[in-house]
Amino acid sequence: MNEIKLLSGNSHPVLAKLVANRLGIDIAKTMSLNYSNQETSVSIGESVRDEDVFILQSTSPGDINDGLMELLIMIHTAGCNHVITMDLHASQIQGFFNVPVDNLYAEPSVLRYIRENLNGEDIVIVSPDAGGAKRATSIADRLDRGFALIHKERPRPNVVGRMVLVGDVVGKVAILVDDMADTCGTLAKAAATVRENGAREVIAIVTHGILSGDAINILNNSCLSQIVVTNTVPLGNKGELCKKLRVIDVSPTLAEAIRRTHNGESVSFLFNHAPT
Amino acid sequence: MVRNIVILGGNSHPTLTENICNILGLPVSNRTLSKFSVGETRCEIKDSVRGKDVFIIQSGGGSVNDHLMELCIMISACKIGSAKRVTAVLPLFPYSRQPDLPYNKAGAPLSKPPSEVPKDKYTFESVPATPAPGIDKTPSFNTDTDLSRVMSRTSLTNGNGQGLVNGVSRPNGEGSTSSDQPLISAPARPGLTTMHTQSFTTHDLQNPALVSTFQAKPGYKRWVAQAGTLVADLLTCAGADHVVALDLHDPQYQGFFDIPMDNLYGRPLLQRYIQQNIPDFKDAVIVSPDAGGAKRATAIADSLGMEFALIHKERRPTRITDRQNATMMLVGNVANRVCILIDDLVDTANTITRAAKLLRKERATVVYALITHGVFSGDAIQRINLSAIDRIVVTNSVPQDEHRRLCSKLDVLDVSPIFAEAIRRIHHGESISVLFQYD
Repeated sequence: MNEIKLLSGNSHPVLAKLVANRLGIDIAKTMSLNYSNQETSVSIGESVRDEDVFILQSTSPGDINDGLMELLIMIHTAGCNHVITMDLHASQIQGFFNVPVDNLYAEPSVLRYIRENLNGEDIVIVSPDAGGAKRATSIADRLDRGFALIHKERPRPNVVGRMVLVGDVVGKVAILVDDMADTCGTLAKAAATVRENGAREVIAIVTHGILSGDAINILNNSCLSQIVVTNTVPLGNKGELCKKLRVIDVSPTLAEAIRRTHNGESVSFLFNHAPT
Repeated sequence: MVRNIVILGGNSHPTLTENICNILGLPVSNRTLSKFSVGETRCEIKDSVRGKDVFIIQSGGGSVNDHLMELCIMISACKIGSAKRVTAVLPLFPYSRQPDLPYNKAGAPLSKPPSEVPKDKYTFESVPATPAPGIDKTPSFNTDTDLSRVMSRTSLTNGNGQGLVNGVSRPNGEGSTSSDQPLISAPARPGLTTMHTQSFTTHDLQNPALVSTFQAKPGYKRWVAQAGTLVADLLTCAGADHVVALDLHDPQYQGFFDIPMDNLYGRPLLQRYIQQNIPDFKDAVIVSPDAGGAKRATAIADSLGMEFALIHKERRPTRITDRQNATMMLVGNVANRVCILIDDLVDTANTITRAAKLLRKERATVVYALITHGVFSGDAIQRINLSAIDRIVVTNSVPQDEHRRLCSKLDVLDVSPIFAEAIRRIHHGESISVLFQYD
């Protein structure tokens, strides 16, 4: 009675499995599929009456709308009481909901990754655009390292001018930090800019590695030596196609958020700490 | 020329949008509707909609979810762009057919209890031997008088006259009354013991292999989530002020909306086709392929003064060896006559082709099928090409060009005049009830 039921959509079964393992539960038996007329059908194979239901659905590149409809149909009858997300592109989106939204941060996991894998005196955190400056400075402060910013000049509307680096990266390992990497065009350009300004090595750490379109090619041909993403988005075989790709597992954070939400505990602890 | 009105079309059916605009003497409004590289829908309305009366035409065929999302985003974009009123025009309403619950006719989901717990494995927590489905029983109960077993057998025998398969009751939705209801347990599923040959469906699944691997928890029968009010809520939430649809599968669906919803009828078109294209139509018989569509078919029969027959799905135990038609029986006489099957939607064409087969068996001379929405998903076209149907007539509520290329039996009626007139009348605040009259 009133236990956690974790339902997983089709978009990211791997992450769901990791979260379920972490919580020590099984993923609830559900099946979602398309009829031949392409309408989505969801079957639920166990009782969810009076249970605390968590539905995990990511956006797998390509069929976002199908994933969304699947999620909507799953939560439709119950109604959605709570939303948990990670690194929303615009945190203001939280205000669009009439239900509580917990926006988790990948930052603690990213910090741990940097500390364990990349730490050295000579790193500098770089934000590839002004919008991400806050995120990047926050990481730089926590690590007590330098910070630089790339400014995109726009001489005329719709024309991307050259990129200007503000800050010093000469002879350092530059870590580009962003929340999302889609086609990776900007990221590759930013990496090149940082390199031209004298960085010894350029690494990118991105929360959501959507990596759609030509992203893998662009990354392979870029001067980035490493690209680190979390597993919020299914990566498929991209790890094999791109040897530079590293993955941070965020399922402990999600699992802990689910556990805490279920038990009515505060989740703010997770804003600063990554469970191991 | 109608003024102060903006007609937008989604990607689902550009031809229909153009036709409607031509009739109204309006240009189709300029918009960009594409996808980002991630797959998210992107919408830009290039014309001003401020203070305008906006109509957005989007049908439900093809990639339904993409089209639905496009529609919601367009509605929202127009609403935020200060449109005076936004009307969603959905020639084919998505998710209007509710999937059936895979319960058996008796109603309650009965299933085989979990395997017996050996006596030495009993713990303090073990459940007492109450004879209920899904509860472990003491060995004394594990005899021929196993109650849940008897219960499930009884309900099934009543339901469809077949014994148990492996002692498991079958989640085959035998209780459904309309064959247009999508039954999850399609007979196409290979390797499922719960499948049985008599049930059939009009909803094929894209990935039947997946279904066979799905097993509900012991003691719990699968529950199919119902889209129900979801689509209505989405449209309302996006900001639609008015919804127009054509021949809704369930007219009750209108009740799911708390905004005005007009359900137009394709009947005048079908009726006119009968009058103009079927020789000696007065001697023909109107046939409803299932009981659910009887009302629709009798309405046409009555207004044209024609005779009527009904195909009934027999669920009582029968000894007929012809398995395919064992569950179907014809009420009415069609021998040596032209038959006209009437239905609202043909999806996988299972119902309609089986009905045609039965009519041919009952010595009908020519079989026509007149259907409002021709979705033709899966291998429907091939099925129709091989079937006893001589002529199939649908409207262009979903794009039919491709279907027409593949099927020489197909005739397409144009619904754009109906929608154009409805849009004109809604815009001018005139009554549209005249569109509901047929004669």
